[in-house]
Amino acid sequence: MAHEDGFAPEELEMLRTFFRDEAQESLEKITALLLKTTTRPDEEQLSVVMRTTHTLKGSAGTVALPHIVDFAHQLEDRFADVRSGTIVWSATALDCFVEAIDAFRGVIEAGNEPDELTLKRLRQQLALLKSLVGIATETAADAESDAESESESESESESESESESESESESESESESESESETETEAETGTASDGTPLPNQGSNDSTRSIVAGGLSGPYVTPDSQRVLRVSPRRVDRMMDSVGELVFDRTRIERRVQHLRSLTRELGETRQRLRDCIAAVGDDSTATQLQPLEQHLATQITRLSAETATLLDDTDALRRTSSTLQDGLTQIRMQTADSLMHRLAPNLRSIARAVGKKVELTTAGGDVEFDKAVADRVMDPIVQLLRNALAHGIEPASERIAAGKPAAGQIHIETRQHTGLIVLTVSDDGQGIDPAALRARFVQSGRWSKTRAQLASDEEVLRSLFDAGMSTRDEADELAGRGIGLDAVRETIARLGGEIEMTSTPGKGTSFTLRLPVTTAVAQAMLFKVHGNVYALPNLHVLETAYVDLEPALTPAGQRRLPATMEVREEHVPLLSLQTLLDSGIRPDKTGLPAIVVDYAGKRFALTCDKIVGPRQIVVKQLGPLLAPLALYSGATISGSGKVQLILDTAALTHLAYPGSQPIKAPASTPATQAPGQVSGRALVADDSKAIREVMTRILSRAGYIVDVAEDGAHALGMFRELRYDILITDLEMPELDGFGLIEQVRAEDARTPIIIVSSRATSANKQRARRLGVLSFVAKPITRRKLVEALRRMS
Amino acid sequence: MKNVIVFALDQRLCAVELRWVREMFTLGYVTPVPSAPRLLDGIVNLRGTITPVLDLGLLLNEVDPDRAAPTTVVPRARRGNGAILLEVEGMVAAFRVSNVEEVSTLSQDEQPDTLIDSRGRRVTLIDPRRVLERALDAVGDARGLHPGLVEAAHGS
Repeated sequence: MAHEDGFAPEELEMLRTFFRDEAQESLEKITALLLKTTTRPDEEQLSVVMRTTHTLKGSAGTVALPHIVDFAHQLEDRFADVRSGTIVWSATALDCFVEAIDAFRGVIEAGNEPDELTLKRLRQQLALLKSLVGIATETAADAESDAESESESESESESESESESESESESESESESESESETETEAETGTASDGTPLPNQGSNDSTRSIVAGGLSGPYVTPDSQRVLRVSPRRVDRMMDSVGELVFDRTRIERRVQHLRSLTRELGETRQRLRDCIAAVGDDSTATQLQPLEQHLATQITRLSAETATLLDDTDALRRTSSTLQDGLTQIRMQTADSLMHRLAPNLRSIARAVGKKVELTTAGGDVEFDKAVADRVMDPIVQLLRNALAHGIEPASERIAAGKPAAGQIHIETRQHTGLIVLTVSDDGQGIDPAALRARFVQSGRWSKTRAQLASDEEVLRSLFDAGMSTRDEADELAGRGIGLDAVRETIARLGGEIEMTSTPGKGTSFTLRLPVTTAVAQAMLFKVHGNVYALPNLHVLETAYVDLEPALTPAGQRRLPATMEVREEHVPLLSLQTLLDSGIRPDKTGLPAIVVDYAGKRFALTCDKIVGPRQIVVKQLGPLLAPLALYSGATISGSGKVQLILDTAALTHLAYPGSQPIKAPASTPATQAPGQVSGRALVADDSKAIREVMTRILSRAGYIVDVAEDGAHALGMFRELRYDILITDLEMPELDGFGLIEQVRAEDARTPIIIVSSRATSANKQRARRLGVLSFVAKPITRRKLVEALRRMS
Repeated sequence: MKNVIVFALDQRLCAVELRWVREMFTLGYVTPVPSAPRLLDGIVNLRGTITPVLDLGLLLNEVDPDRAAPTTVVPRARRGNGAILLEVEGMVAAFRVSNVEEVSTLSQDEQPDTLIDSRGRRVTLIDPRRVLERALDAVGDARGLHPGLVEAAHGS
């Protein structure tokens, strides 16, 4: 039976697995934050802790774990007590919190129905925490926390009384005082406690800025503790083994089916035996055979019982193997952001070493890398940064004289482009002077005078990547740049990528790295043609639609596919994948589903037999023998071990636009989109992974292509890059919160429907949402019914 | 003398030197690759690696049309799921075999590329290098967006 949200039991189980991972991570993060200082956590730390607890609570509700909702709620209340000063911070308090969180982790680990002992431990710890409320401990309660508690404790108690009955129990006063006090304290004190830079909320730039070397604040590496580093090759091997496991499992299932039918046959044989015995009558042989027959009957019953158990066992095996597979898929992935997080400290220390100020800006943090790619590209990038700082960026005085900002600017941008990851590292330093390089090459005897004269500037720059052309001892004289560029190129090439450099003297240098996605995990749209599943990169899929075939001209004639179809008031070419990948369209079809592709601004549609939906896939290379086939860019392996081909979007675009001439659409062509096929691209912003996963599922089933962002800043960046048909956002998120996101989106676009999904469904928030033109406000925990209802309001 | 694995391919008795054989395995689902040349049966997942499966019978006839007649006729076996995986200069490909007869050391016949087995039967010795070369050529011919594809995409 399906869960009330419409999740199948195994689906809910999977989501709970996601939730558990996330919850453990969150609790670990809270503990780390609490243990960071022995003194009372500052306001910012407290608000992070409270937000994290709150998110955990919301996610638990979504995956229907009410006992965890309850515990998280209690924990959240206790943190609120700390904030308001009703719990006075002390070593005892710290211990109690850490113990309680540890007990909480135990409960989460224990699964859906934790045993009484585990629960009891947590209950005790929470009771202990509660007993701290209102007790002043021996450590003189610091005046500071007392003072600021005054105003807030009032609103706090107010909120408690108001919302007793509500399951979420967040009242307006609490949520408002919380969000406001956060900004106010920072604004008023000015120092923002330890001088940590505030998130760059008001910026119109989609990039995030990390000030490095300039040392305007400590850079916090998220979750850097307790991370297990595993060689990607190991994960690959495990992944392959899991694939085998799934494959073997399918085989076992088939065998079990055989066993069952054998058991059935055996039963029939026994029946015949009985009939025979009955026919023989009262003979002595019959009397001898009868106990044997009965014995056989018992054995058959036992056999069928065993077979049934075996079937259950394979079910368990199925669950475990898919959990394993999902887990491993997750392990492999890393966002460009996490690469940047690893780069930032490096940049800081290099900056400190060379005594220069530098600002790092990044873009495209949500592009996902295979860990193998990210790990291997790390060193080359550090090398490029080192070069940029040591030789590219001028001393501050020179920079100011040249009209540049005193701090050097380094920008790292990540994009995914035609199946490649394109990483650009640029600086605004002095650039490389080809003339100076020529002179240097000649002087060192590497090049003859003629060669240096004949070589173009690009060639001169390119030669910096050649072995031995850029060595340490000459680096400083090499007009700016170039230690170990040969090594950088070699590493990139071994990865199967390439590197390019452009430089303008006085303006800066830019390196472009093109990295393969051979092992990258990609979002893909899966569909079926002639019984086989194929994939297309989701990045290029605009929407799905439905095409009616043209009526047959003769009674015996086959229906034909129109040459174009209408997509958003534009006629685009229509290709038949049936004809391309199979023998043709089956004659009984009157219409076909279609996938609309937008590739480099060119749009076209592809018909298929059935749309499977968006999935996350692991891209595999086809190998040297099949690589020349232009139609495919790679393959992936399905859960059951089958190979599924990935179509090459660039090749299909060439087929749709032969000679790349835009096709003029005949106005008469009837091309319709069936009304039932709701489709569009949705952007979901929520800091909880479990909730993102839940929403993706609900929305995919409602016919949406779903992109997700883990905070408002990312969502805004994505929103600016792509056109979305709907934006669904949480309110409380790090970096840029829901209202901040909506305000910025509304400043640029007044029409895109927006839905808020939040547990802070207060009337003030609802009013604010209405003012911002938000379509609807859905209270958490999110269910399929609630979200679908909200979506229905769109039309 | 050559160390070989002897197998039946359709009705033909063939052998391949052991040094090219990486493993024997059971074929799972063979995914067809539309637009690929006919001699490519499809692709399979071999422990996570995409592996091409070649139609060796077709290839042999193409490589050696003069000897289209089998060296030794063996009873036609059901098209099995057994496959031999070859590796030549880093390139890996599998082909389906009907039946594996034996692994042994066989002596050469006077005829080129022919061995004599323990029962005196003539066995065609397959050179995987030539087979893979032919396969590469065939795929190379089908490379890119050839006119056939363009036609298929726009035709009905």
